[in-house]
Amino acid sequence: MSANPTSPQAAAATSGRSLFLPILLLVGMVGLALIPFTINVGDYVLNMLMQAVTYAIAVLGMTVVLGYTGQINLAQAAFFGFGAYVVGLGTTALGLNFWLALLLGVGVAALAGAILGLTTLRLGGHYLAMITISFQQIFDLVLNNWIAVTHGPDGVSGIERPMLAGIDLSDNRRYLLFCVVALYLLICFVWWLPNTRLGRAMRSVRENELAASVVGVHTLRTKVIAFTISAALGGISGGLYAGGFAYISPDNCNFARSVEFLTMVLLGGAQSPFGAALGTVLLILLPEWFRFLKQIYLAAYGLAVILIMVFLPEGLWGLVSGAWRRVRGVIPLALPANIPALNLEVPAKGSAPILKLENLQKHFGGLKAVDGIDLEVTRGTVHALIGPNGSGKTTSLNVLNGIYKPTAGKIMVDGVDVTDLAPHERAGHGVGRTFQNIRLFPALSVLENVMVGAQRDNNPIASGNAALRERAWSALQFVGLADRAHLMVRNLPYGHQRLVEIARVLAGRPKLLLLDEPAAGLNQTEKQELVGLLKRLRGHGLTIFLIDHDMGLVEKISDKITVLNFGKKIAEGTPAEVLRHPEVIAAYLGEGPAGAPA
Amino acid sequence: MPLLELKNISSSYGNVQALKGVSLRVEQGEIVTLLGANGAGKTSTLRTISGMLQATHGEVLFEDRAIQNTSPEKIVRSGISHVPEGRRIFPGLTVTENIMLGCSNRPKLSKQTMMAEVEEMFGIFPDLKRLSTMLGWQLSGGQQQMLAVARGLMARPKLLLLDEPSLGLAPVIVQQLFQTIRQIRERGMTILLVEQNANMALSVADRGYVLEVGTLTVEGTPKELLGNEEVRAAYLGGGHH
Repeated sequence: MSANPTSPQAAAATSGRSLFLPILLLVGMVGLALIPFTINVGDYVLNMLMQAVTYAIAVLGMTVVLGYTGQINLAQAAFFGFGAYVVGLGTTALGLNFWLALLLGVGVAALAGAILGLTTLRLGGHYLAMITISFQQIFDLVLNNWIAVTHGPDGVSGIERPMLAGIDLSDNRRYLLFCVVALYLLICFVWWLPNTRLGRAMRSVRENELAASVVGVHTLRTKVIAFTISAALGGISGGLYAGGFAYISPDNCNFARSVEFLTMVLLGGAQSPFGAALGTVLLILLPEWFRFLKQIYLAAYGLAVILIMVFLPEGLWGLVSGAWRRVRGVIPLALPANIPALNLEVPAKGSAPILKLENLQKHFGGLKAVDGIDLEVTRGTVHALIGPNGSGKTTSLNVLNGIYKPTAGKIMVDGVDVTDLAPHERAGHGVGRTFQNIRLFPALSVLENVMVGAQRDNNPIASGNAALRERAWSALQFVGLADRAHLMVRNLPYGHQRLVEIARVLAGRPKLLLLDEPAAGLNQTEKQELVGLLKRLRGHGLTIFLIDHDMGLVEKISDKITVLNFGKKIAEGTPAEVLRHPEVIAAYLGEGPAGAPA
Repeated sequence: MPLLELKNISSSYGNVQALKGVSLRVEQGEIVTLLGANGAGKTSTLRTISGMLQATHGEVLFEDRAIQNTSPEKIVRSGISHVPEGRRIFPGLTVTENIMLGCSNRPKLSKQTMMAEVEEMFGIFPDLKRLSTMLGWQLSGGQQQMLAVARGLMARPKLLLLDEPSLGLAPVIVQQLFQTIRQIRERGMTILLVEQNANMALSVADRGYVLEVGTLTVEGTPKELLGNEEVRAAYLGGGHH
C-alpha cells in the first residue's frame, strides 16, 4: 500500500502549466490547414477534414461534461442539431446573416442544455443517461415529423457560407482554415478551464459529489454550467458543420451521432481537450483506412473500440501523457518563498454558543436515529460526542451539515438558523467537516484538494486563484504536508490522507469544525500527532465538535463530552464526570482496557 | 508443518511495490498479529494471502500447498476467510442475509445448522440480533464492522484473516470482540490479525511481526515485542503519556 513520494504517478503539474503543447498544436494545426493552399488535395479530403474539425468541437463539449464533471450526456448530437438547424433554417428560411444565426444557434443550444440540466442533473448516473437518451429521441422525432418547419427527413439544403472581415469563406480551403482556428481557440479554452475556480469545482464533483457539496461547492450549479458549456460547444459545432456542408438533415444529429461523439471522447481520452481532438480525427479517418475490410468493417470497428475501452480506460491521450510523465518523472512544486501562517481567527460575536441544537430529530422510517437532542457548543472549546455504535453520532453530524434534512428540530450556527440550508450553504456559513471514511478528491493533487476547500462562499480571503493557492499552501504547511503538495491524493498513505482532509477544511477558515472519527485507522504515533494538531487548533480559538472512540484522545483534548445512546443524550459534562458515569460505563466504555491509551 | 507460510513474498500495485520479500509463518491454532505503520504493507500481506493481490515473487504455502497463483474463490473454499478493512457488506441485503452469505463456501450446510450458527453470531454481537431485519446500508459504520466480522466467522475457516476489526467500534464492543477472538481460537481456529490498536492485538496474540515499508523487521512473542524499545516507541505510544 505504500505510496512512495517519488512515485511516477504524481498529479499533472498544476501550476504554471507548460505552454509547450498549445503552441505546438497551433503550429501543427495551422500548418496542416495551410497545406491545401499549396498542393491540390481534392474536395474529398477537404470534406473529411472539415467533418473532423467541426465534430471535434462537439467532442470538446463531452470533455467538459463527461471528462471534467463526470456527468453522462447522450444527447450531444441534439445540441449539435440545434446549432445546425438554427443556422440552416435561419439563413435559408429567415434570411438571417450567418453570424447572427450562428450566435442564435449557440444560444438556443446552450439554453436547451441549461434547461435539460436544471431539470435532470439532480439525478445522476444511469438516470441521467436515460433522460438524455429520451431527450435525444424526442429531438429526432421532432426533426423528422415537424415537416412544416424542419423540412422533415429531407433536411435543409442550400446553406450559404458567410464573409468574414471582407474575406469570402465560400472557398473550401478558407472555410477549413477558419474552422481550424475556431477549434484551436476552443481547445485552448477547454485546456485552460480545469485550473479555474469553476474547473476545480467540476472536477471535485466528478471525484466525490458529497464531499464537494460539504466543502462548499454548489454542485447542482456546477453541473448545470458544465452541461450548458457542453451544449454550447455542440451548438458551435453544428453551426459550423451546417455552413461547411451546405446541407443538414436529421441523420446528422440522431442518437447514433451522440454515441459517436461519446466514443470519440472516450477513445481519445476524456480528461484532455487534446484527447477529444485526437479521438475525433481517428474515428473519422479509421473508416477510410480500413475500407479494405468491406463487409466485416463494422464488426472490426466495434471490436477495436471495445479493446481500447478495456485496455486504455484513459484513452489514447491518457496513454501518451502517462508515458510522458514516466519519462519526465515527477516535478515537485517549488515551495513558495514565504508561506503566510494560517489565519484561523474567527471574528468574535459575543459569548452566545456557536452551535445550538434544539430538539433535533432524524427518523429513517421507524428507526429513530436521532431522537430529540438539545445541545450547545461553546465558542472556542473542544466538544466531543461519544456513544455506542449506532447511537446516532454520525447521523447527528450529517444532519448538522445538511446531508440529511432533520425530521424536526432547529440548528443554529453562530446565531443563524441553518436548519433548511443545503450543505454548500452551511459551508458558506463556516461549518466545516471531515468524514469517518475519508472523502477526498482522489485524482486531484494535494494542493488542488485543499484549494477546493478554500473556495467556499464567504471565505474571508481575496478573490482570485493566487489567493486560493496561497491559502492552500498555508493550510498544508499547518498540517505539515507542504512538501507533498504536488502528489495525487490517491497515492498518499492513509495517515496523510486524513491530514489532507483536515487541511482542506481549514483552508475554508471554518467557524465550527466537525470531525468524524479523526483518529480512526491511525496508529499510536499518528494519534499523538493528531492530538498535537487538535491542541494547536484549539490554541487558535477554533471551535471543534468531534466524534471518536479513542477515549485516551477524547479525554486529552475535550473540554466537554456529550454521550448519546439510542439517539438520545444520556450524559454530558467534563471528561472526568462523564467517563465515570455508571450509565456511560455500562453502555459504552465497558470495564476492560479497550479505551487504549493514545 | 505451519498452517500458513509465506516465503520471500513480493507484490505490487501497478509500479508501486507493496511487499519486498516477506517471510512469515502461522502455526495451527495460533493467533499471530502484524504490526506496522500505515502503508507498511499489512493489508497487502493479507490481500496477497487471500489471492486478491498477485504475488510477483515468492511462495504462499497453505497446508503445504502453494496457493499464490490460485483465485480468491478457490482460496476461500480451501479454508481461508478474509475480513477486509472498511466494512465491505452487502448494502441491499438484510443483516441476517449478510451473515448467511458468509457460509456460501460450505454449500452442503443444512438450513437448520446455518440458522443455529447465525444465532451464535447474534450471541456474540447482540446488537446485530436487534437489527437482524434491517438492510446493510441502514447500519451505522460500527455496526457494519460487526456485521463484516460476523460474516467472516460464518465461513468456519481454518485460517481467519482479520484486517483492523476494531476500527470505529465503541470501547465496550472492542472488548467483546477481542473476547470473541480468544473464544474462536479455543475452538481451533487460527487467526492472522492486523490491528492499529497494538496493545489490544498483543493482549490476545501468541506471536507478532513488525512490518516496515514492505519488509518484516522484528518477530517475537508479545512479551518480547512489548519489551522492545523501538517497537514500543513506534507502535505502542511508548510511555509518552
